Order: sequence, then structure tokens, then C-alpha cells
Amino acid sequence: MTEDDSPQSRAGTDRDDDTEAQPDGGRYLSVKEIPETAPTTDRTWQTRLVDAVPTKRRALTYVVAITVAVLWIVPFIGLFMASLRPLSEIIGGWWHVEGMTITLENYYQAWNYSTAPMGRALRNTFIVTIPAVLVVMLLGVMAAYPFARFEFPLKTTLFFLILLVMAAPPELVAMGNYNSLQEIGLFDTYMGLILIHIGWGLGWVVLFLRNYLLGIPEELEEAARIDGASRYQIFRTIILPLSTPALVSVAVIQFTWVWNAFFFPLVFMRSPELYLAPQVLPLMRGRVQVEWGMIAAGSIMTMAVPVILFLVLERYYKRGMVAAVAD
Amino acid sequence: MAQVTLNHVTKRYEDVVAVNDMNLEIRDGEFVCLVGPSGCGKSTTMEMVAGLTKPSEGNVHIGDVDVTTLPPKDRGVAMVFQNIALFPHMDVYDNISFGLRLRKFDKEEIDRRVDRASDIVQLEGMLDRMPDEMSGGQRQRVAIARAIVREPDVFLMDEPLANLDAKLRVHMRTELQRLHKELDTTIIYVTHDQAEAMTMSDRIAVLDAGELQQIDPPLVCYNEPENLFVAGFIGSPSMNFAEGELVANGFESEHFTVEFDPSQVPGASVGDRVTLGIRPEDVFTVDRVQNLSSATASIDATTDVLEPMGDEIFVYLVLGESAERSMEGETASSNQLLMSVNPDSDIQEDQDVEVVLDRSKVHLFDTASGQALAHGIEELPGPSAGTGPDAGTSAGTGAGEGTESPVTEAESDR
Repeated sequence: MTEDDSPQSRAGTDRDDDTEAQPDGGRYLSVKEIPETAPTTDRTWQTRLVDAVPTKRRALTYVVAITVAVLWIVPFIGLFMASLRPLSEIIGGWWHVEGMTITLENYYQAWNYSTAPMGRALRNTFIVTIPAVLVVMLLGVMAAYPFARFEFPLKTTLFFLILLVMAAPPELVAMGNYNSLQEIGLFDTYMGLILIHIGWGLGWVVLFLRNYLLGIPEELEEAARIDGASRYQIFRTIILPLSTPALVSVAVIQFTWVWNAFFFPLVFMRSPELYLAPQVLPLMRGRVQVEWGMIAAGSIMTMAVPVILFLVLERYYKRGMVAAVAD
Repeated sequence: MAQVTLNHVTKRYEDVVAVNDMNLEIRDGEFVCLVGPSGCGKSTTMEMVAGLTKPSEGNVHIGDVDVTTLPPKDRGVAMVFQNIALFPHMDVYDNISFGLRLRKFDKEEIDRRVDRASDIVQLEGMLDRMPDEMSGGQRQRVAIARAIVREPDVFLMDEPLANLDAKLRVHMRTELQRLHKELDTTIIYVTHDQAEAMTMSDRIAVLDAGELQQIDPPLVCYNEPENLFVAGFIGSPSMNFAEGELVANGFESEHFTVEFDPSQVPGASVGDRVTLGIRPEDVFTVDRVQNLSSATASIDATTDVLEPMGDEIFVYLVLGESAERSMEGETASSNQLLMSVNPDSDIQEDQDVEVVLDRSKVHLFDTASGQALAHGIEELPGPSAGTGPDAGTSAGTGAGEGTESPVTEAESDR
């Protein structure tokens, strides 16, 4: 914090001084005023420390922010601790850290759990999640583009319908599709579950991407048209590359949603060998006593995937979110 | 190379008529500016030439081809947009070569053309930069280069300089003129900035409310505007207008009169409502008009606000002897007059002055229709009429010859 703040505040004061001195409003330095070397922080650590001490108001903000952050992270730390320690150590509370034993036994047990091994469940979850995400991205952007750019009959009505689907509760979707999936023979198959996820996800994806596409200047497309690009070429060479941040956001959010979904797999997947990771976790409770350590290890493994994905794509994700919401 | 012709082109959007029965003929190699206030239909007109918008009625020809229904890519046009519209995810080379790559030109040809285009707009060594690493002026050059490489028949430019700062705009103006000279291609240029239009174009097309008001070389638009709108739009600051009546011995408004023979004004008779127009530089204080042979009788006025511009001073005059300053409403304009004077002048605010108008630069318009009646008026015949043997020649719409000589004298005096 200290190193970050001081040079910035210095730069700020410098600018102010120029504004007063310069007749042109201080937009540019005159040539003779440009220093030979970049400005250095020539002040002692004491002055910098004094500068870095926040005001009361700012301090209060920090306190609130830190409290919220701690409240947020504590359950996660608990889960993490529980996953790494034998049951005997965590049964009295994971926060007792004296004489702590670190072991990966819980992970090993969860991975090979006899009823429904976590290893298989994770693989199954990938099988469902990856197509459900990729197809939603592709279909979503292809549906969003006309809503953002074309004029066609019933455009508003159709868009409203899409929004309406978003408002429907998942239970309704499950009930409606239970019979239809059975009739077409997709019940208890990955394909059936993937289709449900695609349908459920498309609503918000279309809304989200449409808003993002509206922010891409129309002149870019007109320029491409005049240069000779067809609609499809515009879509592929201009729209798709420019939508990358939004598509990444969609991918991350949809991935997290599909991956963590518990209700849909619970309703539509019946064979234990097809169970997905979130479905397997409650099964790990055991018969005689609750295997907290194993559940914790299974949970950590399950949640690790979307968290890692988010961390990897965070940069794009933020750009996409900001642009889509800013309009 | 091609001429562009618009025949009775109309464009309606639901209940708005953006362009109304436009007839426009732009000659091969000509630089034509479409000017007009916001919403006058100039951008829509250009979009119809480009093919981005289809006209509701009428047709568009480029060269000998009716392109009304052709898509933009088959029209041989290239366009530069107001917000520059570079593809942000492509570097300069890819931006410039985009159209050529779509048309499957071979690599060597693309390189050759990109080199030439970037040479013309002075972008050497920047081909691998991304648009966000460039300044506004450089981006605009890339946009122009992107248009040049296609070697189009017609260049369309939709306010390409509007987003640049004032200094750069003046610079790019010269560059565009140089470019036009070099390429010798038809250029249609949309702007709301009449200074751009005046300086660059071969002809200016003035548009208002979706209709073509006048298309003529810049100085003709300036000196012989066809109607009130053109007169007021071309020139900055704009022409002074005074509403009044055509009377037996000339023009009479609430605050001043100008004497002339009303019979020299064709299409108007005594008693008609007419509007007199006079540009600020054609108003003089009496002590500075020794050489002005065609001065009107002096008008009493009081100076109000002065606007020193450096090369000249704009003086706001309030007419009438007991001049009361009235700022309210539209009626106020008729007793105000803007005058441009030499910067050396020692004129002060709130000073009583006598001013005259340069008779040869007076414009008369029909108040109701706005149509021009006369540009430049001769002295009142009668006692003093004998002095001018050529009296009457310059009257009427063809105000050409009579307007020249007296003014040069007057201006050299200023």
C-alpha cells in the first residue's frame, strides 16, 4: 500500500502545479520543463509512512471491507483445514491448530469412495459442463447478434419471451422436462442434462451478449460492409473477436453454474455411475458417522475447478462484465 | 473514377422524411462537400450513395451503373467514418488490407497497395501498431489509407475530422486537399463545419430539412446565396438579416432604410416584404469608406459588444438613434447589426457611430419564400442616377460583374 500510494499522490500534486503555471491549461509540459529522468520518490520513509496513514473515514472503510472479507473467507478456511486433517482432530473444531497433522488421506478416500468415486464424478461433470458451456456460448452469440443489430418482426416480443424464461424457477423447468426427456429417451443421459442446461442458460446469455454487442460501434460493421464483407464475414472477423471478453465472462459464469448445479442432476440423473460431483457429495456422509474430512476434501476438489478457471480468465472476465453492464 | 448522380431520391423513416426529392450531380473527380445543420439529411444522402441505406424512392447512379439496389461492396466506393471505425483488434496493416484480403487479392499485390497507401498518408513504419497505440490523427490516416488501398471510384467521407482537435483538423484539411489532387478521385465529403466546406471543396451542396438548397462553388454560395438559409449558413459569423418592406425609393425596415430603385429587383414589387442581408465585412463605419463608391446612406448606431479576433474585430451594433438594447426574442435581431472592422480600429464599446453598407454586397430575399431576389443593388436613379452609365447591369440574379470592383477598393481600405 505504502509504495503504491506515495508516487501517485506526488504525481497528482505535480500536475496541479503545472495547471497553474501553464497558460494553455497545463495540458502539455513545455519542452524545457520535461525532466531528463523519470521522477523518483526522493522522500524519506517517515514522510511516506505519514502519507500512507489513512484518514478516519478511510480507515472505517478498510475496517468494514476487511470484516466482510474475513466473514467470507472463514468458512472456506474451515473447509480447507477439515479436508487436510484427520477426523479426530477436526471433530472438536478445526480452529484448534496445536498439534496439527496434515494428511492427504481424506482426498485419497474421496477420490476412490466406493459408492461413487469422486474421480469418476469429476470426469462426469466435465462431460456435461464442457459441451453445455461451449454450445451456449456459440448459440448465445448467434442469437444475441440479431437482437442487437437486425430489425425483424416480433423482435421485442421474442426478446421479452427470452427474459420471461429467465424469470421461471428451475423447479418449473424440471417438472416440464421430466416427462419430455423420458418420452424421447434422453432421461438419465448426459445429452438430456446438457440440453436442459443449454436451454436454461441461453436466456441470460442472450441478454448479456446482446447488451455487450450493442456497445460495439455500428460504424465498424458499416466499414466492413463497404470493404466488402458479408454478414457472416462481419460476424466472424469483427463481431466474434471483439466479443471475446464477453464470451469469456459467459464461459466462466455458465461453467460455474453448470458445474455447481445440484438440482438438475438430482432430478435427471439416476444411475450412480453417471452421478456428477455435486450429487456425490451428500452420499459421502457415511452410515455410522459423518466423514467430515472426506466431504470437505470432495467439496474442495469440486469447487477447485471453477475457481481455477476464474483465476485463469479473470482479466478477460472483468473486461467483459464491465462492458456488458456499462451499457 | 466516376460521376455520382442522384435522381429524385427520397428517404423516409417511418414518419420522418430525411431526404426529400434530392437531385444531385457530382462530376468525375470533383470534391463536393455536403453541408447543413444536424438532421438536414446529409449523412443519409451519403449513406444512400454508399449503399448502407436504401432510398425509399428515386435512384442512384455511380458512373453509368444504376447502383440503387447494389450492396456497398459492388459500388466501388470507400468510406471514412466520423468515429474513424478502425477495427480495434487488428493492427494497422490488417486494417488497411482488410478489404483486399476479403477480395482475395494475392499477397504481393496487397503488400504493394498497402505500401503505396501508407506512403500517401505518411504512415511508414507504423504498420504493426495497434489502433489504441496511435494518436487521433494517425488513426484518421489509417482510416483514409484503408479507403485508398481499395482504389475506389468514389470516396465518401462522413465528417472525418470532427473528432480531431482544432489544430489537427486544419492540418488534415490541407492533407485531404493534397490527397484529392494526388488521387484525382471523386470525393463526397459530409460536414457541418462550413469552414471545412469552404476551404476544401470544388462545389458545396447546402442541405436543409432533407432538401438541396444550393450546389455551387464555395465563393458563389458565399457571394450569391440562392436563399435565406444558404446566406445564413455559409459564412461565419453569419450574414446580418433585416426584415422590411420594398418601398418606392428602396428598402425600409424599422431601423434603417437603403435607397435604390425597386424596379431593378426582379420578381418583387413595391409593398412586398423583403429581407435585406449584409455580411459583417460589408458594413463600414463612415470614416473608413472614402474609397467605397457604392456606400449607402449612413445609419446611426451604437456599439454594443466587441469581439476581438486578432485579425479583425466583430462589433455588435444596435441600430436607431436612441438605441435601446433589447436582447429578448427574435424581434431583437432586426435592430442588431454585426460589423467586422480592422483590428487597428480604436472603436470602443457604447460608442455612437455612423455606419454604411456596401451597396454592391447587399442581398435581398423574399421574406416569405426565402428566395434570393438580388445580389448587389444599384443607386437610386434620378438626380444622382446619371453618374452611373452602367446602372442596372448588375441588378437581378446575375449579380456577377457589378459586385467586384467597388469592394476591392473598400477592402483594401479597411
